[in-house]
Amino acid sequence: MTLQEAQSITALLDQETVQSIADEIWPALVGDGEAFVPVPVAPPAEVVSAWVTISGPWDGAVVLTCAPATAEALAESVLMTRPPTVVDDEDVADALGELANVLGGNIKSVLPGPSSLGLPQIGSAPTTGRLDDVCRVNGQWRGQSLTITVQGATPALHPSGTEVPQ
Amino acid sequence: MKILVTDDSRVMRQIVIRTLRQAGYDDHDIVEAVDGRDAFDKVGTEKPDLVLSDWNMPEMTGIECLEALRASGSQVPFGFVTSEGSPEMREKAANAGALFLIAKPFNEDTFKDALDGVIA
Repeated sequence: MTLQEAQSITALLDQETVQSIADEIWPALVGDGEAFVPVPVAPPAEVVSAWVTISGPWDGAVVLTCAPATAEALAESVLMTRPPTVVDDEDVADALGELANVLGGNIKSVLPGPSSLGLPQIGSAPTTGRLDDVCRVNGQWRGQSLTITVQGATPALHPSGTEVPQ
Repeated sequence: MKILVTDDSRVMRQIVIRTLRQAGYDDHDIVEAVDGRDAFDKVGTEKPDLVLSDWNMPEMTGIECLEALRASGSQVPFGFVTSEGSPEMREKAANAGALFLIAKPFNEDTFKDALDGVIA
């Protein structure tokens, strides 16, 4: 079956690589001195996710997940807004989507190619596929929970055809 | 000098414009485009001296925009600012006539390295 032949993300990528990519992105995009710290904190009750898909030898998505309030704070930091300026929902979705996009672009560059990157999406994260096809870094930014998940596409999206096992 | 900043993300356009200023290019006129199609149109109407463009956008991608510009006879200086900087993409960009490709994340030094010599 195709799914068994495809390499899982854990064979292609480790958490240290994801962290090193985040280490470059946070100061450049979120702001000087800002960091994604790979130390988990209690997950929020309500979450929002932004993600981009990667399609190629490895199919899946790079997902950034946090509480809505953290997403808003990230957007304020990315846009360098100061009170009384407030960011609107569109800016929050845009900023979170761009963070996912830049994470995705950089993660794509260390995966086997050729592959293509989808446009950023926001909402409830896509469901994960095989348990061994997930590379997740549970961390925090300014003490708030933030998770980066690199997850394989669900099998239902990629049917392996009508082959009957021997 | 007029610079056309093209990205479907308003947030990223703001970051690009901010980084241009931080890199010292703060006395240029900036115009914005929301995708490749808009950029193609604005090269005609705004007559920019330089186009900075994202790669992956709805309607028309950055590379499609560059190819359409060259096919229409426009030789406007064009550089990419994109989240992907693989050797294949850099080669494709160069073959289509792009002057440079800045990969995100970037900072003002990345901009200076790419833009010195392009922006007077």
